[in-house]
Amino acid sequence: MLPAMTSHPIDLDTLRHGARLAGFAWSDAELEEIRPQVEIALRLLRALEAIPVGDTGPTTHYRTV
Amino acid sequence: MADLFWASMTELARLIATKAVSPVEVVRVHLDRIAAHDKDLRSYITICADGALAAARQAEAALMAGRPLGPLHGVPYGLKDLYDTAGIATTGGSKILADRVPSTDATVTRRLAEAGAILLGKLNMVEFAYGPEGLNPHYGHARNPWDGATHRLTGGSSSGSGAAVAAGLAPGALGSDTGGSIRIPASLCGITGLKPTYGRVSRAGVLPLAWSMDHVGPMTRTAADAALMLTAMAGYDAADASSSVLPVPDYRVALTGDVKGLRVGLLRGFFLDAATPEVRSGVEAAARALAAAGAVVDEVSLAQITNAAPAVLAIIGSEALAYHADTLRARAADYDPEVARRLKVAAFITGRHYVHAQQVRGLIRADVDAALARRDVLLAPTTPMPAPALDERQVTLGDGPSPVRPALIRFTQPFNLSGHPVCSLPCGFTAGGLPVGMQIVGRPFDEATVLRAADAFQRLTHFHARRPVLG
Repeated sequence: MLPAMTSHPIDLDTLRHGARLAGFAWSDAELEEIRPQVEIALRLLRALEAIPVGDTGPTTHYRTV
Repeated sequence: MADLFWASMTELARLIATKAVSPVEVVRVHLDRIAAHDKDLRSYITICADGALAAARQAEAALMAGRPLGPLHGVPYGLKDLYDTAGIATTGGSKILADRVPSTDATVTRRLAEAGAILLGKLNMVEFAYGPEGLNPHYGHARNPWDGATHRLTGGSSSGSGAAVAAGLAPGALGSDTGGSIRIPASLCGITGLKPTYGRVSRAGVLPLAWSMDHVGPMTRTAADAALMLTAMAGYDAADASSSVLPVPDYRVALTGDVKGLRVGLLRGFFLDAATPEVRSGVEAAARALAAAGAVVDEVSLAQITNAAPAVLAIIGSEALAYHADTLRARAADYDPEVARRLKVAAFITGRHYVHAQQVRGLIRADVDAALARRDVLLAPTTPMPAPALDERQVTLGDGPSPVRPALIRFTQPFNLSGHPVCSLPCGFTAGGLPVGMQIVGRPFDEATVLRAADAFQRLTHFHARRPVLG
């Protein structure tokens, strides 16, 4: 888990780390530009993680018969 | 013939088959309409005038020679510019693909041609279909034809399809729908848009946004035309692994006009409570109209539906970034900055998020299935508000203020997760003259009932027959 998943707001080091893990070498300026949207997304993802799913199997595709 | 550009596809097919009009005349009328209005509407990226006229002449010759005719013989239509078309640029609304000319047609492009349809051109869209507003900085922002004074959003991502069909620049079109991209422009532009069941229509040869969420379908002015197009397009395709082998009925046969005994669930809570008063009253009046025609209407809520937004973010973001990662590394500056930003944000979604989102997806699907276990269709608003102005950033909904973007996709995205078939159609107009859209949701692969209900509603009302006045 990225530190950003549990803390808010996200700092530049965490952004750099996350981008590198995903395989992108974005400049600090580029990371600063997306920081507000990343923070919003991480809030939503924290909400996602909090949804209890029990033993529901992941549905990657709808039934296509 | 006056106002031929307002004729439905069904009516055009009949007029052509009975030799009341020539396909050449029909195509010319639409090309003239495009020439007169598309400078303002920006609904087309590529206009295929020569190809369309040549195809129309061939269609006329076939007609005169008495050769067998397809159900769409000589009827023109437009394609969102992410469907591959052999020899015609397919840009995905991006300058990155501005010179991309496919060598083959998408499966549905070919099927529509085999049915006799004639391609008028390739329609504007949000770059790579990643956004619901309908904006495109490369090819111009498509304009909603319902307001001549204020530039209003068409909705997206199938922005050009919505504007062109609503304004009579094409009698029908194809869109694609990953979070609402057929239904949102259908709602904001006052037309009929069908997102079929996941797997019902092949996506082979269609540029993807998110493979497990992408649906393709027709955008027309009537449910009957959607049935006509869907019948020609749907069915198994070995080139699309998600394609269903279930047989395809003739959807036109289902259009009986009869809704007696049809069990309709009106979706309260998350849907109606969050809609603006004019949208809410439009959908409630539609439910009353269906009940007066014999449908059995009750109210229902979906408990899991509030979980849709984070799941959609994780799934669409992950899948879209997987598709774009290499191009984003090489040509980030050539993307629409908004689209590039959305893709970059997706880099912070983890595999664990993605799988959790797919589990949530299972819950939402089960929720919708349960609501449909004792009902034939569900009824809900398509968008919580009518078309916002271009510069509007925030809207006030029934449950408070919201930025425009999440508001637009709020009611549509759950059914991309669930995969159920949904038709959006106009169910009213605001006091300011803007269309209001509603969704009819059906059981998996039961597009016939969805279209029957939509067509019956259009026989009871005239919202779908109202036309914008262009400058």
